[in-house]
Amino acid sequence: MSEQQAPLAAEGPETAPTATEGSRSAPSRLREAGVAAAMYLGCIIVALFASALIVWATGGSWQAVFSALLDGSLRAPGRWGETIGIAIPLVVVALGTAINGRAGVVNIGQEGQVMMGTAFATYVGVNLGGPGPIVVVCLLIVGALAGAMWAGIASWLLYWRRVPEVLTTLLLITVASQATGYALKVDWLLLAPFRADRSVRNQVSEQLATDTRLPRIDIWGNDFPISAIAVVLMAVIVFLLFKRSVWGFRMRMLGRNARTATRAGVSTVKYGTNAMLISGACAGLAGALMLSGGDFGNYRFTPGFANNIGWEGLLVALVARSHPVGIVVVGFSFAGLRAGSGFLAATGVEREISQVVLALLVLALLVPPAILFIRERRRALAATRART
Amino acid sequence: MADQRTAGTEVPAVRLSSISKSFGAIVACDRVDLTLHRGRIHGILGENGAGKSTLMKVLIGLVLPDGGTIEVDGERCQIRDPHDAATRGIGMVHQHFSLVEPLTVWENVMLGDTGRFDAAAARRRVGEISEHYGLGVDPDAKVEDLSAGIRQRVEIIKCLRRDPSILIFDEPTSVLTPGESERLFDVLRLAVREENRAVALVSHKLDEILHATDEVTIMRAGAVVKRLETAEADAPMLARAMVGREVSLRSEASALGLIETVAASVDDVEGPRHQAAPGAGADSESRVPALRLSDIKARGPDGRIALDGLSVDVYDSEIVGVAGVEGNGQAALTDLLSSLLNAEAGTVEVDGMRVQPGRPGAMSGAGVAVVPEDRHTSGCVLDMTVAENLFLVDIERIAKRGIYDPAVMRRDAARLIEDFEIQTAGPDAPFWSLSGGNQQRVVLARELSYSPKVLVAAQPTRGLDVGAIEWMTDRLRQVAESGVGVLLISSELEEILQLSDRVVVLFRGRIIGEMDRADVDLEELGLLLGGAEAGTEAA
Repeated sequence: MSEQQAPLAAEGPETAPTATEGSRSAPSRLREAGVAAAMYLGCIIVALFASALIVWATGGSWQAVFSALLDGSLRAPGRWGETIGIAIPLVVVALGTAINGRAGVVNIGQEGQVMMGTAFATYVGVNLGGPGPIVVVCLLIVGALAGAMWAGIASWLLYWRRVPEVLTTLLLITVASQATGYALKVDWLLLAPFRADRSVRNQVSEQLATDTRLPRIDIWGNDFPISAIAVVLMAVIVFLLFKRSVWGFRMRMLGRNARTATRAGVSTVKYGTNAMLISGACAGLAGALMLSGGDFGNYRFTPGFANNIGWEGLLVALVARSHPVGIVVVGFSFAGLRAGSGFLAATGVEREISQVVLALLVLALLVPPAILFIRERRRALAATRART
Repeated sequence: MADQRTAGTEVPAVRLSSISKSFGAIVACDRVDLTLHRGRIHGILGENGAGKSTLMKVLIGLVLPDGGTIEVDGERCQIRDPHDAATRGIGMVHQHFSLVEPLTVWENVMLGDTGRFDAAAARRRVGEISEHYGLGVDPDAKVEDLSAGIRQRVEIIKCLRRDPSILIFDEPTSVLTPGESERLFDVLRLAVREENRAVALVSHKLDEILHATDEVTIMRAGAVVKRLETAEADAPMLARAMVGREVSLRSEASALGLIETVAASVDDVEGPRHQAAPGAGADSESRVPALRLSDIKARGPDGRIALDGLSVDVYDSEIVGVAGVEGNGQAALTDLLSSLLNAEAGTVEVDGMRVQPGRPGAMSGAGVAVVPEDRHTSGCVLDMTVAENLFLVDIERIAKRGIYDPAVMRRDAARLIEDFEIQTAGPDAPFWSLSGGNQQRVVLARELSYSPKVLVAAQPTRGLDVGAIEWMTDRLRQVAESGVGVLLISSELEEILQLSDRVVVLFRGRIIGEMDRADVDLEELGLLLGGAEAGTEAA
């Protein structure tokens, strides 16, 4: 491989370089992409094979399992609409994660930011009167702001007192969970007023009024909220920001070498805070979209509402290696697994086994990026070592 | 060989035969033979990357060779680690010190000993060694209070305490003032002549080799290219063998470490440009300096005062050389001018305008370009492409309303790559794939591309080989000729003398001396480097 020859040139006299020095021409990049694709395919095949083996060994029917997964995510009537509905918040969370990852700031508290975003959005959606569309826009904005605020606490602690953001974002999830849980118990906050048609009066919000919900698109019996289109647009915008904007360039500089970035005029505090706020805003917005979209919780906020979407969105960003287009693809795949898992119960396969099958498939998607990452690192290291 | 009488009859102290060592695809040593005799100083001369250090690491047991044999005192053996080497009587004084600063000299010397130890005896022993070799080291002094020269003597004591019969010195003068180097060689001669030890002196400086050694082995690209008695050698011959081509001793004197030649070539430097350079002239009072630092006080990352009332002016078109032994505030000065360090007191003015040092990007925004000492931490982003690295500081130049076109970036980068003769696969090659010299070119190309008023070059030629040094030196001259003020921060006195119009001496965070290049007196300069003002020379 041409990269492996680079060190030779590096060690020789500076005046006698070779043309092979670190060549990354178009064909080699294409080959890289091919290698990556082959790796994904291989891993998925291995995971499917292993799943089949496990199901078969425990006395189940592997055909039934795979068929159920496929039915639940795509094949059965209305199911790919469901998958899109689940993919929306996953992609939004992941796009935000990609941004803070670029800037070298860690945010693993998306789950909490999703909760806060949903809680605030619920309050606005239920209490703010006026024309429906305006209420929807307001609740989305407020949801994003709430997520940003929650992430902002971590970022403020980081730059004010150097508290590691890995810890604060993580621990703030628990705080968010308790805070929203409390709000759902109090009448003047989120708790729905008592009505005769509900037997239990327990930690549930008022339902969003029909005119304050996101419109849904129906294609061949598959329906999903219109936010799906906005989310794809958002991914394109993030892609362009990464590729072409000065802002994205500087974010990347900061993430890769903070000292150089500082010298070049990129303030760690300013850009780092921005990255964190945007990441939090995305998670908060994801929560608001879940609430007003209708695929989660039937337009009501409850304690379990976030349902690991924050965590899974983080995972999507990791698997897609923060690439906006990859995030859309991976987000849809993860959503498919989630939608498909709903159908597994009907196959008669034990719940534990079907969970293992799902985990194996997720693992299959996780392995290639890890291998690719290690490969790149090793190559870079080999080059540096040869240099010293 | 001239000295067959002594060298031929006895068993050599060390005989390395056909030593080979590769790191991956790189051959660091290719069937190298080396023989060290008792009572002689053997110079090992070569450029950076010629394989000298690897060879010495084989001898001290830090590197296991792929092939070849080692004989110590005629006995074939394997040296597995430095401990092994020590028991065979081989000791090494490394280029970089490994001393614990808050501990005293004798404590440092005893570090690493196992079992019971007698503090009083250890102190006495350190004092004895110091006295015997005339090192003048106080066993009870704290290392943090000592100058680099004295610290090196502590390292030498650490080594001599085990009474090694074979001593290796790796680039020993890189942190020393000329006076300190001279004394080091006196100690070496004593250890060799009186006590019949064998010494290997690794260096890339011709002067040192010519002055201090008895015989010399010249390495190039991992192989021995020449071996001769120093008495039969002269500078041009050594230079040719080391570099592998004809070199002009005058123009490359600093790269070759020929301080006398550099010092004597004032007339050359006083060429037309220097006459034209108005910075050094008497009218400088009335002009606005390109860069003015006044009474700067700043703390380093460790919280200690790194710059302590530093003042210096740099005018257009002049090169001001900041001479000084490493560790006297050079890093802090570069950081300050890179907006990475704030000043507690004092002001920075660029072209008459105050600049706030600690604000990100303030310096580069005001027109202070920097070629940093360690380009990997503050000069580049290894994981970005060459083109991106060329636009780190002023991406806005090719951007409209915050959006830039990667194609334009690539095109502009290709032009810079050509102008600065950067050897790379292209604008999209990752920066880390470049060799050190070419990385340095990228940094310089970028820093000059935003038309700076001042260029700060910190150790700009460190780690480069002769050809790359020559290129960098020429470029710095051109930069000054084009009207930019250059602040050259270097611990290589040769480099300072060759390039500067004016020399200032940095000592413990302050400028303690200033002289025009034409008036430089080497001896006086040497005293200043050692902090003559502060009176440490007496130590």
